[in-house]
Amino acid sequence: MLIKLEDIRRYYTVGTEVVHALNGVSFEVPKGEWVAIIGQSGSGKSTLMNVLGCLDTPTAGRYWLNGKDVSGMSDNELADIRNQEIGFIFQTFQLLPRETALGNVELPLIYRGMRAKERRERARSALDQVGLSNRVTHRPNELSGGQRQRVAIARALVTEPSLLLADEPTGNLDSATGLEIIALFEQLHRQGHTICLVTHEPTLAARCPRAIRISDGLIVNDGPGPQVALESRPERARAAAT
Amino acid sequence: MSLRVDLLEGGRIALRTLGVNRLRTVLTLSAVGIGVATLLAIVGIIQGLNGAFARQLASLGTATLNISRRPYVVTGDWWKYRNRKQLTLAQMQALAQQSQLATAVVPEVNEDSRDLTALDQSVSAVDLVGTLADFQKIWGYEVPVGRFLTDADSEAERQVMVIGADVAEQLFPGRSPLGQSVRLDNRPYRVVGVLAKKGQILGQSMDLIAIIPFNTFLQVYGKRDFQIDVAVDDADQLDRLEDEVTGIMRRVRTVPPGEPEDFSVNRTEQLADTYRQLTGALYGVAMGVGLITLLVGGIGIMNIMLVSVRERTREIGVRRALGARRRTIVVQFLLEASLVSAVGGAIGTVLGLGAAKVVSLVTSLAAAVQPLTVVGGILFAAAVGLIFGIWPAARAAQLDPVEALRYE
Repeated sequence: MLIKLEDIRRYYTVGTEVVHALNGVSFEVPKGEWVAIIGQSGSGKSTLMNVLGCLDTPTAGRYWLNGKDVSGMSDNELADIRNQEIGFIFQTFQLLPRETALGNVELPLIYRGMRAKERRERARSALDQVGLSNRVTHRPNELSGGQRQRVAIARALVTEPSLLLADEPTGNLDSATGLEIIALFEQLHRQGHTICLVTHEPTLAARCPRAIRISDGLIVNDGPGPQVALESRPERARAAAT
Repeated sequence: MSLRVDLLEGGRIALRTLGVNRLRTVLTLSAVGIGVATLLAIVGIIQGLNGAFARQLASLGTATLNISRRPYVVTGDWWKYRNRKQLTLAQMQALAQQSQLATAVVPEVNEDSRDLTALDQSVSAVDLVGTLADFQKIWGYEVPVGRFLTDADSEAERQVMVIGADVAEQLFPGRSPLGQSVRLDNRPYRVVGVLAKKGQILGQSMDLIAIIPFNTFLQVYGKRDFQIDVAVDDADQLDRLEDEVTGIMRRVRTVPPGEPEDFSVNRTEQLADTYRQLTGALYGVAMGVGLITLLVGGIGIMNIMLVSVRERTREIGVRRALGARRRTIVVQFLLEASLVSAVGGAIGTVLGLGAAKVVSLVTSLAAAVQPLTVVGGILFAAAVGLIFGIWPAARAAQLDPVEALRYE
């Protein structure tokens, strides 16, 4: 198992109120699987994504990533895990505006302490992999939204992580460009990458082989993508029909 | 990840950031620059002053002791010194006979602020000294015009006089004073020599001086308290000479063992101590002003770094998500702060040196800045940046990556 979550809970204190963002979530993801995590805003899916990405530590529960128990790790250890095991893809791309495409892709390798020459080679090949070998020296503001997300994907791939973690990767893109990015994810899935895709869009989740639906901090459904994704559809379909 | 990588990457980011926010960088570093410039100018002037003073002190003669009823610099109970027994000629003669180390022993009597006139010219505030021939050797006077006094001048109570360079200039402008008559307290003296210029010490001219034979002085002004000047060959022997002289004087003045001396053995170094006391407070204030300027610059840096941290919150989030440790972020911002400061320090160094140079051109002070001071200035500025960068850097590192990534 690449991911194993065991009764993960995450509580926040906002003012005097305790918010139960995750109320005991357990699931497993084997290597090479492509799973969507779907839920409305406020369902806890963002918190789950932060826990999966080792950006946030759960209040209770155990989390094994690639065989390592990360739930009790120190801040520094988590930073290293993020660097080595996880490739992040964000809705807003999160590229550094002053760096070129190549510079952005090199960044995680810098934190790995890799030498400049090797770093550059690997960053180039990652950009090549996402079809941007002709945009290497462009800065983010010289690239289209789709191209920016491709740079971000290249940055996620360049460390050869065990898990790609995508948070609404098509949220800031028009539908045609979104489809291109999804096609890229399908390709990465075929190449054997493990992908976790967090989204609120059922159509997107429906394209994933597996989907997990979160509501009020609990898993309410876990199964084949189309089935789980379209489950809430009846009401909407009915609403649309009338 | 190693610290080396942190430093390399941090330095690269710092350089780039400085280039991006040029106006802000210039404003920030000018604050530090002005602080460093102020400090360096002050240090330069102080070093110049100290150098000048050291040279002047050296010209006084360093291998000399002065025995007197009171120390060079009287602090505290002035009456204590006044009530001491006067030195006598017999004591001086005993000292001259018994001392093994002394190469010269002369008496010295003084009158302050005398007026001298010659024909139509006059000069006031002249120090009058009555002494013997060895006085020249002991205090290192050079006599380029004419001769110094001889012991025979004293024995014969001759009305002759050796005058300082300033006295000569004011009484005999454009003329040779040799053989001319000078009136002092209604008596005529014949000028037999002019001393070479010695310059100023602590703002007082050493050249407003007139020297007459010892016995002549006593005859005119009556018997009075005098001092004894003692010279030794080598300044290294001064401590031994002091011990010896103190022993002899205690014996001839019959000071009981265990009692404090009823005389003072003075060294020119004591003048240096006084100089330090007098000027120390002044320097302290000046340095304080410079430090406050630097403090202001440092606060400017802290302010700008806090703004920078806020502006780049998302960048910090991204870096943390991609594997940067807290330390990496700290190093990045500390380097940025100290780099701005160091650049400001370098500019300030140039300005400060310029200011010191201007001061030395405009005034008679020779401002000197040692190379080490320059390096120190830059390093000091960098340290200021480092110190004032600590808090902003710590804030950057404490950011929660999740919050930072979401920051708009």
